[in-house]
Amino acid sequence: MAHTPGSKQVENDIRNTYQWLEDRLPILSFINNSVGSNFMAPRNLNYMWNFGSLAGIALVLQILTGIFLAMHYKPDVAMAFDSIQHIMRDVNWGWLIRNMHMVGASFFFIVVYIHMARGLYYGSYKSPREVLWGIGVIIFLLMMATGFLGYVLPWGQMSYWGATVITNLLSVIPFIGQDIVVWLWGGYSVGDPTLNRFFVLHFVLPFVIVGIVILHIWALHEHGSNNPKGVDLKTKGDYIPFHPYYTIKDVFGLGVYLIPFTFMVFYAPEYLGHTDNNIPADPLVTPAHIVPEWYFLPFYAILRAIPIKELGVLAMFGAIAILLVLPWLDKHPVRSARFRPLYRPLYVLFLMNFVLLGWCGMMPPEGIYVLIAQAATAFYFGFFALLPILSKFEKAKPVPTSI
Amino acid sequence: MKQSVLALTLLAFTLVATPFAAEGVKVEKQEWSFQGLRGSYDKDQLLRGYTVFTNVCMACHSAKYVSHRDMMRAGFTEAEVQALAKNLNMNIDQKLLTAQDNQTAVETFGKIPPDLSLMTKARAGLADYTYALLTGYSEDPELIAHTFPKGLPAGAHYNKYFPGHAIAMPNPLTGPDMVTYHDQTPASVEQMAKDVTLFMQWAAEPERIERQHMGLYVILYLVIFTLLAYLTKRVIWKDVKGH
Ligand code: HEC
Ligand code: HEM
Repeated sequence: MAHTPGSKQVENDIRNTYQWLEDRLPILSFINNSVGSNFMAPRNLNYMWNFGSLAGIALVLQILTGIFLAMHYKPDVAMAFDSIQHIMRDVNWGWLIRNMHMVGASFFFIVVYIHMARGLYYGSYKSPREVLWGIGVIIFLLMMATGFLGYVLPWGQMSYWGATVITNLLSVIPFIGQDIVVWLWGGYSVGDPTLNRFFVLHFVLPFVIVGIVILHIWALHEHGSNNPKGVDLKTKGDYIPFHPYYTIKDVFGLGVYLIPFTFMVFYAPEYLGHTDNNIPADPLVTPAHIVPEWYFLPFYAILRAIPIKELGVLAMFGAIAILLVLPWLDKHPVRSARFRPLYRPLYVLFLMNFVLLGWCGMMPPEGIYVLIAQAATAFYFGFFALLPILSKFEKAKPVPTSI
Repeated sequence: MKQSVLALTLLAFTLVATPFAAEGVKVEKQEWSFQGLRGSYDKDQLLRGYTVFTNVCMACHSAKYVSHRDMMRAGFTEAEVQALAKNLNMNIDQKLLTAQDNQTAVETFGKIPPDLSLMTKARAGLADYTYALLTGYSEDPELIAHTFPKGLPAGAHYNKYFPGHAIAMPNPLTGPDMVTYHDQTPASVEQMAKDVTLFMQWAAEPERIERQHMGLYVILYLVIFTLLAYLTKRVIWKDVKGH
């Protein structure tokens, strides 16, 4: 990369277009080195490795549909709800764009959850990919923020009350919490200034995510992909070029993804939403149950499982933050769960427990549900607490020396 | 990995299915023409529902996102909607607004009757709930005394499906033949309830038929695309070791 200006001999023949551009802006070889035939990938990656590029496509789709929505949406408490109906009824293809954006958000989270579960199973967070993983966690946090902000925009009952409940969480910060909440709202309750700034932030954050995804992929390229066996590759024969092998595999994966996605867009666009959000926001009427979007439910359950509000908030954020230190909790030398007889079943329990937490988040916070949520929260953190112990004592099955 | 994915999916589905079984009064499912991959709004039924809506419900409720022109999307001609609008002394671009002002409503019912444009999408149970609500009134003194030992709250009416059972809306469909249908369908209470619910469903999702018809072609296209992509992948990968 680092050359002295003017030190290179360049051809001036524009008819040799490729070389001409290459000499001025080597963008084509950059693409080829990043996702083309000059980027080498392990030959044994399974379909779990499709989800990174799928997440990228989902992100681009959200941005494209979002831009078109923003052309017709009005971030004003008196107009927001109406402007959504305007999009659904009067704007050409408005319903299609909005359904794609709504369903797309949910599918984006499904893809990223699978992407993360993949990393957790195959030990992709371990050295030398700690930073790659950590960047992923930050992307996940930003996605959650973006999803939350976006859900407020249609200004339905769940938008308003979800925003109220979630922003209020910050009031537990000692001394300045209340002031922070007022500052965030731009007033003494969620209102017009809140909606306006949430719209701005919801527009900006996805572009921040794009920037961080570029770092994510940069970090990925430093050591290349991990693989199902979790072993370091040694010979050239273990690799195949990304293009055409993984490009075509990703195209096929995209098709498989788009079929259920399209089904939801055209036949059940609001299935994952909440009926209360078709009622305009009303600060005087509190819904019977305030539930966030499904992808927040496990963390929402952790929040409500703990009776002391301050600790609940801490546990909720801690549940995500703990992922950042995961590479230092699990120091077992073997990456892939395939060769770890204890970690593997524990991992399956962890995922089941995570789904169970999500279910708890949906139920009213009373009686038996609280107890289940508490047990599940304990297991969630227990999993991470066990990892350092496993690192010391778990005997791995024989690990192959190469793929 | 594969088994755990399967187990997880199953677990998720079972858990997702439980809350709906547990929630509130169970609303009976109805057959609707708009459901299914090739669903549609029956034009005659839509017109019957429109008749009930404009003659009965609009005394108190609006559908503020809906105009007569919108009905052209459901297969009505411009002449037809012109005629309908003229009957109500409206032009075809005016929204279906009630003549009742908010103050009168609050004085009479203690609240403003909600806008019905999105009603079938705004309650758990969707269209089935609206139908159940409209046919769920009861004056059975035993039933009422059982739920409200101290008597119904002032101004409220008993409804089996309304959350809490005390609704401020008086039974709008008190008996048969409140309207005369253009196609001579007997206007029983159930028929009127069914028709007006269909009209409200259309009002909530006027794009629904377009989207359902289009969806089939998009999915078909994607299936073929995916199949071709898979075959291409097989060809490209055939020399890779281990595949
Ligand atoms: C006499 C005035 C009046 C008429 C006529 C009337 N409604 Fe209502 N409606 C109300 C009032 C008042 C409420 C608010 C009830 C409450 O929240 O307790 C209401 C509420 C409703 C609701 C919402 C119930 C809920 O779950 O919150 C629906 C659905 C509804 N009406 C449908 C209809 C339909 C369909 C018609 C015509 C067949 C109709 N109404 C005719 C006054 C009326
Ligand atoms: C906008 C969201 C994201 C995008 C677009 C994205 C993109 C990608 C891409 C394209 C790859 C390479 C292909 C693959 O291995 O699947 C990758 C790998 C990886 N990602 Fe992400 N990612 C996102 C979110 C996350 C999150 C939330 C995490 C974890 C917290 C994460 C952790 C990882 C790890 C550890 C790898 C390396 C996997 C391996 O080589 O085994 N990513 N990501």
